[in-house]
Amino acid sequence: MESELRIDPRIIEEFLQLNKNILEAPKLVAAPDEINLEMSPYDVVYTEGKMRLLHFNSNSKRQARTPLLIAYAVINRYHILDIHPQKSWVRNLMDQGLDVYMIDWGTPSEMDRYLGFDDYVNTYMENCVNFVSNESSVEKVTLQGYCTGGTLAAVYASLHPEKIRNLVLTAPVIDGSKDHSVVANLAKHIDVDKMVDVIGNVPPEFMYYVFSILKPFEQGFEKYVQFFKNIHNKDYVENFIRVEKWLSETPPIPGELFREWIKNVYQENLLIRNKMVVSGRTVNLRDISMPVFTQVAVGDHLVSPECSMPIHYSVSSEDKMLRIYATGHVGMIASSFSQKKVLPELGEWIKNRSEK
Amino acid sequence: MDSSGDYKKSLDYYKHVSLFWTDLLSLMSSRPQMLTSTGPFRKLGVNAKLASAEMIGVNQHLVEFNNHLLEYYKQLMDTWNEAQKQFGKKVPEIPTDTEHLDSTKRIWIDIFENYFTRLFDSPDFAENFGKLVSSELELAKHWNNISSIVLESANLPTKKEIDELYKELHLLRKRVAKLEKISGMSGNGNGKRA
Repeated sequence: MESELRIDPRIIEEFLQLNKNILEAPKLVAAPDEINLEMSPYDVVYTEGKMRLLHFNSNSKRQARTPLLIAYAVINRYHILDIHPQKSWVRNLMDQGLDVYMIDWGTPSEMDRYLGFDDYVNTYMENCVNFVSNESSVEKVTLQGYCTGGTLAAVYASLHPEKIRNLVLTAPVIDGSKDHSVVANLAKHIDVDKMVDVIGNVPPEFMYYVFSILKPFEQGFEKYVQFFKNIHNKDYVENFIRVEKWLSETPPIPGELFREWIKNVYQENLLIRNKMVVSGRTVNLRDISMPVFTQVAVGDHLVSPECSMPIHYSVSSEDKMLRIYATGHVGMIASSFSQKKVLPELGEWIKNRSEK
Repeated sequence: MDSSGDYKKSLDYYKHVSLFWTDLLSLMSSRPQMLTSTGPFRKLGVNAKLASAEMIGVNQHLVEFNNHLLEYYKQLMDTWNEAQKQFGKKVPEIPTDTEHLDSTKRIWIDIFENYFTRLFDSPDFAENFGKLVSSELELAKHWNNISSIVLESANLPTKKEIDELYKELHLLRKRVAKLEKISGMSGNGNGKRA
C-alpha cells in the first residue's frame, strides 16, 4: 500500500526562500557590533564618576523655559529613547519645543559596587538637577524617569520636591507586591544579600537570563523567524538590529543599588508603604505634591501596570494624570504608537505646566 | 538517612581527616627549618590545607547545585511535555497548506508561551531558581576563597582586601563631596562640568 503525503508546494517554496534569506543576511545587514546607536547629536555637559549628563542639540524653537531631565533606567542603556529617527522619544520632545537633558548612568565597574540609592538619588541625580537648573536659569525642572529610572525619580521627587516642577513616571517600578511579572516572582526568591556579598555588581548575564524567560517563544524563536523573513525590508531589519544591539548592551548593576532595590521594592515592599530609608531619610511618597503624569502600558510584561499604578494614588498632588496605553514596555517609548499617541500627550502636558 | 546526607557525612569526615593530619604534621615538623623559607612556597605550603578544605566544600555544594539544576530541567521538561500534549489536542494533524501552517505555528507559540509563563510565574519555579542561584553562589564563594589563598601566598591583595579598599574609597568620596558642599567650594561634589 502506498501512502501519499500532499504538501502545498508553497510551503516548500517558503522554506527555501527562508533558507535563501538566511544565507543572504550577512550581505544585507550590518552586524550589531558595526552599528553606532548614537542618533541625535548631544553635548556631554557634566560628568561624575561613570555618570554623564547629556544635553541634546535641538533646532526647534523652544516653547518652554523649564528643561526636561530624563533619568533612564539602570538596566540597558539610554539609546532606546533615541533608537531611530522616526521612533525617537528625545527627538519628538525636542520637536515639540522642549529642552532635553538625559542622565546616562554609564557602565559601573567593580569599583562602583558600593553605589546605592543614596548615591544615585542624592548625589548623581541631585547634581544633575542642580546643573540643569543653573544652566537654564530656572528653579525647578521637569523630571522624567523610565522603568527603574522612574523609581529613582519618584524617590528623588519625594526627597527634594522643591526642585521638581513636574514629574513624569513612565512604567516606574513602585509596588513589588502587586507586580505579577516573572521578574517580580524571581526577585522575591533571590538571596540578594548572598548574591551581592559574593559577586558584587550584578552581571549583565543575570539580567539577560531574566529577559530570556519573559516571552521565550515569541522573543527567542518567532522574532528571529520574522527577521529572516523580512530580510529585504531595509527599515525593518535596521530597526531590528538596533533594538537587538540595545538589548545586548546592558551594563552591570551596582551591587548595593541592586540589594536595596530588591529588598525595598520587591521583598519588603517598603517604598510604597512609605518606609524606605535613603541616607537616614524616610521616603514618603505623600511628599510628592507637584503635577505628576504616570504612564503605564497594559501589555507591559517587564513591569506590570499593577506595579506602576499605585504611585498615582500615593502622591499628594492635586494635578495628576494616569494614562494606560495599549502597548508594551518598549512599545510605549520606541514605536510608531508612542510617536502618534504617547508623546503628543506628554509634550502638551509638560508644556502646559512649564515656565514659558 | 538519605543518600545526600551520607554523602555530606563522608565529605565532612574526609575534610576532618585531611585537616587533622596536615595540622598535626605541621605541628610535629621541626620549627627551625621554617626560618629557611620565607618566600611564597612556605606560605603556599601552609595554605594548601585550606585550599584542599575548600575543594572538599566545592564538592559538597556541587551536589546541591546539581540537584537544583536537575529540578530546574525537570520543570522545563515537564512543562514542555504538557504544552506539547495540549498542542496535540488542539491541532491533531499538521496542516499541509501555508495558511493553516502559519496559524498552527501561532497556536504552538501561544500554547507554549502560556505554559512556560505559568511555570516561570509559579512559586515552585522561583523557589528552586533561588536555591539554584544560591548554590551557584556558594561555589563562587569557594572559588573566591581559593583565589585569595593563592593571592595571599604571592603577597598580593585579596578580593576581600580590594573590596574593603573600594568601600573606603567610596565613603571617602562621599565625605569629600559633603565637605565641599558645606564649605561652598563646589556645588557638585566630585563632579565636573564637561
